Amino acid sequence: MDQPGPNAENGREDAQASSLINRTDLGLTIIILIGCGFLYWVTTGFEIVADLFAQDVPPEFFPRLLIWTIVILTLALPFEHLFLGEKGKSLNKDRAHRIKPMAGITALLLFGVIVSILWLGTALSMFFVCLALPVLWGERRIKVIVPYAIILPMAVTVLFSYVLGVHFETGVFGITLR
Amino acid sequence: MEPVIQGLTLVFDPFNIALVFGGVLIGVTVGALPGLSSPMAVALLLPFTITLDPVPAICMMAALYCAGTFGGSITAILINAPGAPPAAATALDGYPMAKRGEAGRALGLAAVSSVLGGVFSLIIFLFAAPLLAKLALKFRPPEYFALTVFALSMLASISGKSSLRNLIAGAFGVLIGTAGIHLTTGVERFTFGIYELTEGVSFVPVLIGLFAIGELLGQSQVLNVAYERITSIVIKLPSREDFRRVRWTILRSSGIGTFIGILPAEGATVAAIMGYNEAKRWSKNKEEFGHGALEGIAGPEAANNAATGGAMVPTLALGIPGSATTAIILAALIMHGFRPGPYLMQETPHFIYAIFGAMLVANFMFLGIGLGGAKVFSRITLIPRQLLWPAVFVFSMVGAYSFASSVFDIWVMFISGVVGFLMKRHGFGPAPLVMGLILGKLVEESLSQSMIMFDNNWFRFFESPIVVFFFLITATGLLWPLIGPRVRRLLGRKNGPT
Repeated sequence: MDQPGPNAENGREDAQASSLINRTDLGLTIIILIGCGFLYWVTTGFEIVADLFAQDVPPEFFPRLLIWTIVILTLALPFEHLFLGEKGKSLNKDRAHRIKPMAGITALLLFGVIVSILWLGTALSMFFVCLALPVLWGERRIKVIVPYAIILPMAVTVLFSYVLGVHFETGVFGITLR
Repeated sequence: MEPVIQGLTLVFDPFNIALVFGGVLIGVTVGALPGLSSPMAVALLLPFTITLDPVPAICMMAALYCAGTFGGSITAILINAPGAPPAAATALDGYPMAKRGEAGRALGLAAVSSVLGGVFSLIIFLFAAPLLAKLALKFRPPEYFALTVFALSMLASISGKSSLRNLIAGAFGVLIGTAGIHLTTGVERFTFGIYELTEGVSFVPVLIGLFAIGELLGQSQVLNVAYERITSIVIKLPSREDFRRVRWTILRSSGIGTFIGILPAEGATVAAIMGYNEAKRWSKNKEEFGHGALEGIAGPEAANNAATGGAMVPTLALGIPGSATTAIILAALIMHGFRPGPYLMQETPHFIYAIFGAMLVANFMFLGIGLGGAKVFSRITLIPRQLLWPAVFVFSMVGAYSFASSVFDIWVMFISGVVGFLMKRHGFGPAPLVMGLILGKLVEESLSQSMIMFDNNWFRFFESPIVVFFFLITATGLLWPLIGPRVRRLLGRKNGPT
């Protein structure tokens, strides 16, 4: 699918700036309000304690106060661009471009590394991330990547294990540098 | 006098001096690297320092904070890429100067202005912190509540694109801080049946996630940025004539920076912008600005470094962070078992003077390191992002894990990072969220105690003149974007420089 060009994006920014409601912020408002609704619902499940024990400040009082504050502030979000300089053009500029797939792929890779820590152990997970992330980001010099992926995790593990006394996950292979 | 000597003796312990030096070295390096920031570095340093004694730990962080603020100016001047946001204003005149072959002169001026700004603010810190702490001893829970509300309201004017979004992020941070067991009743809140959440959300992984992982995901989108580099550098200290030209700018900006730093939540970035604006406003050579004006470097550099000392004042005297980095230092103090605030000043004054000493030493250290090693620091931007950011991830992961030896904390870090990345895209900065998170407990505690004191009667807050004062300045601050232009029009003043 064709990506919108810079002119299309500028046009979209201008359209957003001139309208009464910023549609991106409207979407954001809905998401935040749903989140607040959920959290408010969670507060209804807090254990009920006697007023005397709670000293008139029940556990749900403060979180609810905050949720209401966030709700009130959030309701102004779709109209905020009307009060900002250049009608919030600079705000829209940052998000005019779609998130590049690389950010999503990187997040997925990191997710995978964290999932595998208990299985691979911390040292191997670090080795893997030092190998995979540079390759994913376009580094192709094997002579640089391999020593980097070996030396950095070793140095970090030794530093944290010996100097700071941290006990790392050894994983199913039982790899430890201590 | 005894606590001063005691504190300075602690700093000059060889081990502590070595740590301060390490902090300065890391600070200048991190400051010089675009994308890496001093809050991120201090957050990553937190797990390292937990095993240290409190004095060397906090001194190292404070030194990193000072040096990180200066480090950003090196790359701002040499490659037009401010290593840290506070140095953005420096690039406006520093880079044009470097392009016309005066990089060494610009760097020398930046370093000297930074040191003078830093030392000025530390002198104010030395006198203001005890005074403020003395005043704060009179504060009861209602006054503390009003103060924290004021601090949170100041998030509206923290650097960023939208005051509203800063406030929402700050409130969200406070809300996250309520997770865990409620202190008064022992009721579990927002734990979702997860055992690790019963003690609340740990600061360290959230801080690391927001500042490091969020930035990492952002950097993954700009992998092929190349910088135009100035290579011929012969560092020059400002000549007598140069210094004479900028001395009042430095003094004025140091005052502005210190004042902005003392204000809760305001940091070096706001100070630098104001320092630059004021330097331009008072300059006789306005037309030179943007083309390499000396005042355009001295103003923001003196101001942003002065803000570091200023920001330490409310952090240590009141327990209210003066900036994002001091919010992390505050978290470190809490983790080391201290309760920052007036009692810290009363019970362990030597500790405060040790921090003062460390920051003073750090200022002179980064002058030497910055001037001697500017060429080297300008080259660190040659480190490919493809190798730099995996290292950041490794340190983040291990840092988040090592605090409680818990993989759960790595998850918290990762989720915070993704949330931070998405928030930043929509104009919500990580700094307000961190401030909210760290202030959260204090806000709730003081509110609850006040409500108990006042028998649940909100109106009794207004019985205290201090509370009324804080509420009034909070309301004025929040409404200023709406009423400010009208007030200015009414007063018939022309708009200041932008």
